[in-house]
Amino acid sequence: MSDYVLKTSNLTKQFKNQIAINKVNLSIKKGSIYGFIGANGAGKSTLIRMVTGLASPTSGSIELLGHSNSQELVKARKRIGTIIEGPALYPHMTAAENLEAHRLLKGIPGKDCVERTLAIVGLQQTGKKKAKNFSLGMKQRLGIGIALLGDPEFLILDEPINGLDPMGVVEIRELLKKLNQEYGMTILISSHILSELHLLATHYGIIHQGDLLEQITVDELNEKCQQYLHIKVNNPEMAATVIETMLSTNNFEVMPDGCIKLYHYVDTPGKVSTALVNEGLVIEQFMPMGQDLESYFMNRIGGMQNG
Amino acid sequence: MDNLMKAEWFKLKKDRSLWTLIIILTAVSLSYPLLIVFDDGADSIKVMDFYQNTILQGNNYVIRLVPCILAGFLISSEYSIGTMKTIAASGNSRFHLYFAKLIIYSIGTVLISLIFPVIFTGAASVALNFNGMPEFGYFIGTIGLTILYAIAFASMMALFATIFTDSGKAIGFMLIFFIIFDSALYLLSSVSPIFEVIFNYSVFKLFLDIVNYDTIHSAEMVKLIAVPVITFTAFGILGSILFYKKEIK
Repeated sequence: MSDYVLKTSNLTKQFKNQIAINKVNLSIKKGSIYGFIGANGAGKSTLIRMVTGLASPTSGSIELLGHSNSQELVKARKRIGTIIEGPALYPHMTAAENLEAHRLLKGIPGKDCVERTLAIVGLQQTGKKKAKNFSLGMKQRLGIGIALLGDPEFLILDEPINGLDPMGVVEIRELLKKLNQEYGMTILISSHILSELHLLATHYGIIHQGDLLEQITVDELNEKCQQYLHIKVNNPEMAATVIETMLSTNNFEVMPDGCIKLYHYVDTPGKVSTALVNEGLVIEQFMPMGQDLESYFMNRIGGMQNG
Repeated sequence: MDNLMKAEWFKLKKDRSLWTLIIILTAVSLSYPLLIVFDDGADSIKVMDFYQNTILQGNNYVIRLVPCILAGFLISSEYSIGTMKTIAASGNSRFHLYFAKLIIYSIGTVLISLIFPVIFTGAASVALNFNGMPEFGYFIGTIGLTILYAIAFASMMALFATIFTDSGKAIGFMLIFFIIFDSALYLLSSVSPIFEVIFNYSVFKLFLDIVNYDTIHSAEMVKLIAVPVITFTAFGILGSILFYKKEIK
């Protein structure tokens, strides 16, 4: 059995003269929460639409839950749950009726899963209220409920927290964490709300103008986004000695330009500056630095571009 | 396929456009005979004449136009509200998805097409004191042909509803198409022998012969039965191929 629920190989989608997805090799490990990041038009939804069978690739291949030929892929899609570009609901039906329509579609025996799913997404009290009268948060939760029917192994959620209020965002985050941790569901989640993804995802994929720029684990990202003190002094060698001896740490780097990145004492920079000044060093630059996911993403795609 | 039919049947039962159309057609069926009685008296008209001249003729328009509205709401709206994405990603073959929807939509169309022949005829029979009732064989024969032609038209409407993917556009186009297409085909048939053959073997022409069920000889009857069956099969296959190749947006 493959360790990956999804692997794409040189996946390409071309619309007339425009390449929407360019030879993407994406892999999502079983049990992970994969944050799929990209600006508007970067190709996130196009890739998701190919994986879910709504669009066909121009070239390349998709391996979903270990299956890659076209007929097996169709069957493998029975084991996934999806929200694609927002929740798709029948507006004149209640929450239970929406779930029932999709239960029948998926051929899930027994009606008890409808009540169970309503409870999981917190919509068991909606009664006869039609979906068209739901708040956006309720619609999103119902969309997730539909995706959860049949206990899928892999959830694909395209923008599931769009338009939610802060409470709704927290609820969905906790729900997705629970599904991942307690039920072992692998989740692909695309979102513009990078701060939210940072609280949820274990892996990230950054896509820009159809190219998958990078796939990175949360540990690797944290390492890259680690906070540090940026120090520039008149004598870097002496500063390094002072840091090692006076501050008792070797968790720092001397960069080729002579700047020092000190990963300790980020919360107590006064101790560092005092030690350096006491040894007669002249401080030219001294500031805390680091990146969050948003700035990392912006740097990665090369500034404030919009795909 | 069984689960897909159940899902489509569930949606058909919940479809408000179907119930609205059924209520309107039933209301017309129940109230119109009363107007005839008030105007002309209960004994002046035979039920058979009323069945042929009013009910079956009126049903020509019902079968060609009313199901367009159902197609718009039951099929095209799945694209516009986005549910078709979930359906297409559900792990079922596109051919099965299309035929499940076509079959259930055809059942909805048959329900609509039978309101006039059954309820209208029932109400008219009571209002006209069962005077000059149609022969049972004739009645059943015309009902059977009505069902066949309803599903033939349904297969064409399902194809258009799949192409347009927006209920408003689909309904608008289909209403215009089914109002003018037979006239256009009739005009073309008068100038070109090819179009004449097409027109003579089309559901648009043969559909009007249902009323002559009792006078049609066997060869014509085979044609009258075979053409809607072939039309349904051909448009069903065409629609499923289109749906198979369609990128769902």
